[in-house]
Amino acid sequence: MSAAPDVAPVRGARQRLVAAELLKVTSTRMWLGFLVGTVLYIGVGVVAVILTPTQPGSPVPTLETAAGMRNLFAQAGGAYVFAIVLGALGMTQELRHQTLTSTFLAEPRRNRVMVAKMTAYGVVGAVYGLVGVVFGYALALALLPIKEHAEVPWTALWQIAGGAVLGCALFAVLGVAVGTLLRNQIAAILLILVWVLLVEALVVAFLPAWGKWLPGGALSGVLQSTGFGGAEYLPVWQAALVLLGYAAAFGALAALTTQRRDVT
Amino acid sequence: MTRSEPTETAPWTGRPLEVRGLTKRFGDVLAVDDLSFEVSPGRVTGFLGPNGAGKTTTLRCLLGLVAPTSGTSTIGGRVYHEIPSPALVVGSALEATGFHPGRSARDHLRVLSRASGVDERRVPVVLDQVGLGGAGERSVGGYSLGMRQRLQLAAALLGDPGVLVLDEPANGLDPEGIAWLRSFLRYLAGEGRTVLVSSHVLSEVEQTVDDVVIISVGRLVRQCPLVELTDHAAHVVVRTPDPGSLRSALTAALPEAAVALTDDGALTVSDARPEQVGHVAHAAGIELHELRAASTDLEEVFLTLTRGDAP
Ligand SMILES: Nc1ncnc2c1ncn2[C@@H]1O[C@H](COP(=O)(O)OP(=O)(O)OP(=O)(O)O)[C@@H](O)[C@H]1O
Ligand SMILES: [Mg+2]
Repeated sequence: MSAAPDVAPVRGARQRLVAAELLKVTSTRMWLGFLVGTVLYIGVGVVAVILTPTQPGSPVPTLETAAGMRNLFAQAGGAYVFAIVLGALGMTQELRHQTLTSTFLAEPRRNRVMVAKMTAYGVVGAVYGLVGVVFGYALALALLPIKEHAEVPWTALWQIAGGAVLGCALFAVLGVAVGTLLRNQIAAILLILVWVLLVEALVVAFLPAWGKWLPGGALSGVLQSTGFGGAEYLPVWQAALVLLGYAAAFGALAALTTQRRDVT
Repeated sequence: MTRSEPTETAPWTGRPLEVRGLTKRFGDVLAVDDLSFEVSPGRVTGFLGPNGAGKTTTLRCLLGLVAPTSGTSTIGGRVYHEIPSPALVVGSALEATGFHPGRSARDHLRVLSRASGVDERRVPVVLDQVGLGGAGERSVGGYSLGMRQRLQLAAALLGDPGVLVLDEPANGLDPEGIAWLRSFLRYLAGEGRTVLVSSHVLSEVEQTVDDVVIISVGRLVRQCPLVELTDHAAHVVVRTPDPGSLRSALTAALPEAAVALTDDGALTVSDARPEQVGHVAHAAGIELHELRAASTDLEEVFLTLTRGDAP
């Protein structure tokens, strides 16, 4: 038989897969809606911290302290909530709209697809983090003059910004993993919101020694801010490693469960 | 819809497709049961069976989306995930494959071209090919069933592959679309490509296919060229005052033939020619009142075969 020869493997396949995943994100409008949500959420956070009346003896550090100022600027890291939900949707939407078949037909090496998806969402999360930081800082600096406050901690701002960008990137990766593991879109969104906004907030508030090891607590660590008073947090590098560990562990678990699962 | 400009031989033209002892169990459901068949290059093969026969499951196993319980299926001698850049050599459109409603057809194909390593310049080409040239910028959410089917086909053609695997591609297409699909598949097979098309109605692909692979409840019922099925549909109708004697004479003389008594007293003899039947009757000294060749509707043959009471 005169069969035509083999096709050479496409070069740069990994980069192409990441580019494909990024195009999936930008070719529908959801990312824009989430970005608007991010900006609103951060805006509300910043305004709330600035307007919170300063009561003597309150556990929330006031803007007249360095910790209070950190807390204000750390609000700019609020994009993480949207980053993790967006990441989860990145996988649950493929299941819901049955596009996973096309995805795996184009690249049957599923591990590569998973790595590419997590990489792409890491990038998207970082961009969200950056947009949040720029907007949050600008708003905070614009509103600060209306309140008595300590000096703006300029050097800490760089570190908070770096923490926010890294944290949002890793939360987005974590989101992809959670979406892959739970598969059901509603279940994934509900679990994430309940966990992030309720369970973690409670553990961080009442069991700070444990809370600092949870993803949200580790995020406080990379931002070096308690958000709410009384909590503890890890040193930056330790917190960053904990976050990285969560993203890597859940990411690997998600990739593993995808490996042989039937796509029907 | 138009054909693409002539290309040099597409990669992997001339490679067969093989399914060997394939079995797939979903819990209690045995969807595919020890199925074996081959699909030859340069021909259009119809993969036929009623609803739930296991066609889609077989194709998903072949394309590496479903892990078989046992058995193998290969394309050009390789399992799908071992083929380098598989979408460049195997184009496929499967049932239950969707689109994001908020994404345009063009972007859907651009995503696939990036992921599979196809040149993005193929996107407008295949959109034109399936007649979606003017609708490529629209969100797929607003597409009709037939338009989605065409987009599915466009995705399969993206890599200009030498092997095509299409699951019920005619579903939802208008008569003009079906006619186009027919001639397009014939044209592709004419170039030496391997074309496998599934359907649950034989009449739908009757004018398109060269070979048929018929399955029922997960098992192979028949694999043969379509003409053999047409021959199978031919039979002899014979009328005699003494059907009992003729029947025994025929079964003795023509062991291949299946003889049946119809309600109106005639005998039907399948797998036999009128002259054979006439000769047997003459030799046995049986009087005949009618002797003629007849043919069953092909769809009926298909129904008989897949009902499981075929000879
Ligand atoms: N994911 C699944 N889980 C459980 N059962 C399944 C699954 N996929 C298919 N089946 C079962 O396997 C059998 C074969 O289904 P399949 O979709 O392959 O049939 P088909 O020949 O493509 O039918 P149709 O003509 O309706 O498309 C059916 O009984 C179906 O219910
Ligand atoms: Mg089917």
